[in-house]
Amino acid sequence: MFKRKSECQRVQGMLSPYIDGQLGPSDREGMESHLEGCQACRRELESLRATVNLLHRVTMVSPPRSFAIAKAAPKPLPAAVWSFGVLRVATAVAALLLVFVFAGDATHLFKGGLIEERTAQQGTLMDGEDGEVSDTGGVPAEGEEHVWPVSELELALLGVVVVLGGATVVLWQRRRRGGEGALKS
Amino acid sequence: MEEDELIKRAKEGDLDCFNQLVERYQREVYNLSLRMLGNASAAEDASQDTFLSAFRGIGKFRGGSFRAWLYRIAANACRDQLRSLRRRPATSIDSLPLELEADQPSPEDFAMRRELGEEIKRALAALPPDQRLAVILRDIEGLDYREIAQVTGSSLGTVKSRINRGRARLRHHLEQRRELFP
Ligand SMILES: [Zn+2]
Repeated sequence: MFKRKSECQRVQGMLSPYIDGQLGPSDREGMESHLEGCQACRRELESLRATVNLLHRVTMVSPPRSFAIAKAAPKPLPAAVWSFGVLRVATAVAALLLVFVFAGDATHLFKGGLIEERTAQQGTLMDGEDGEVSDTGGVPAEGEEHVWPVSELELALLGVVVVLGGATVVLWQRRRRGGEGALKS
Repeated sequence: MEEDELIKRAKEGDLDCFNQLVERYQREVYNLSLRMLGNASAAEDASQDTFLSAFRGIGKFRGGSFRAWLYRIAANACRDQLRSLRRRPATSIDSLPLELEADQPSPEDFAMRRELGEEIKRALAALPPDQRLAVILRDIEGLDYREIAQVTGSSLGTVKSRINRGRARLRHHLEQRRELFP
């Protein structure tokens, strides 16, 4: 008795996919043989079918007006969209470079730089730590070692980040405002 | 013109081509919105928002079923409308009747059919939005399970279970008014 009841529950849980032909062959066959012998489940199936058929009869309504977009609406402007994407990426790259250079500066990777200059005045420089950066190959002679223009680089990168970031924000604001305007019109 | 060609040109900013796509799909989008929202003016807003967003975002369409892509935008527009309808519940369900095709073998009379339509409207409104969307897409708009999964961004299993539970609830609701069935 208990087994029969749980079998009915299982079958009734699959009636909907059964109606839509979504059951695999073994599930379908098991279901059909159960339905043959179980009037309660057959009734459930018919009732669900009646509901689905009712929904099939819901008629489509004609829209009250056309939803064509007026000429005044903002165009997607592929060029603008493209430049927005490129700007965003360029800003991110410049910011990353800036962080990298600053980090290098702070860990004394380069000779010179905003941070390094200050620490250099306080004590002696550790030699040999710039081996990776120096392109002369050997250890440079003391006193006339190659000095990277790190502080200039840092300031230039900072400027680039500010300009690119500013342009990105302006474009983004304009796109947002354009979108809102279009929805209101 | 072929749909692919229209989409390609719309992506290049050709408004006339995009509007031809609007012509093709506005009836379906409007009806989806109407059945989701149960409110004609909200459905109108949702449809307009759908096509505006679609036009702005068409560059992001990466092929596949354009209809599923559009329906996905429409489903989001409906979600926004539902949110604002919830803020003013008095206007929620409007009086625009839900019409049913006449049933050939056992024609109900007109009044009965109208009442049945009202009942379906109420039953749909009582469903959780996820189940409502799945049932409308399946049984009113006639999409298959795979397309519904694309529209809703969910798995086939989720689609199956939403349709299953949504239909069961609808059936339960309609059985309370058994006298309406011939
Ligand atoms: Zn059974």
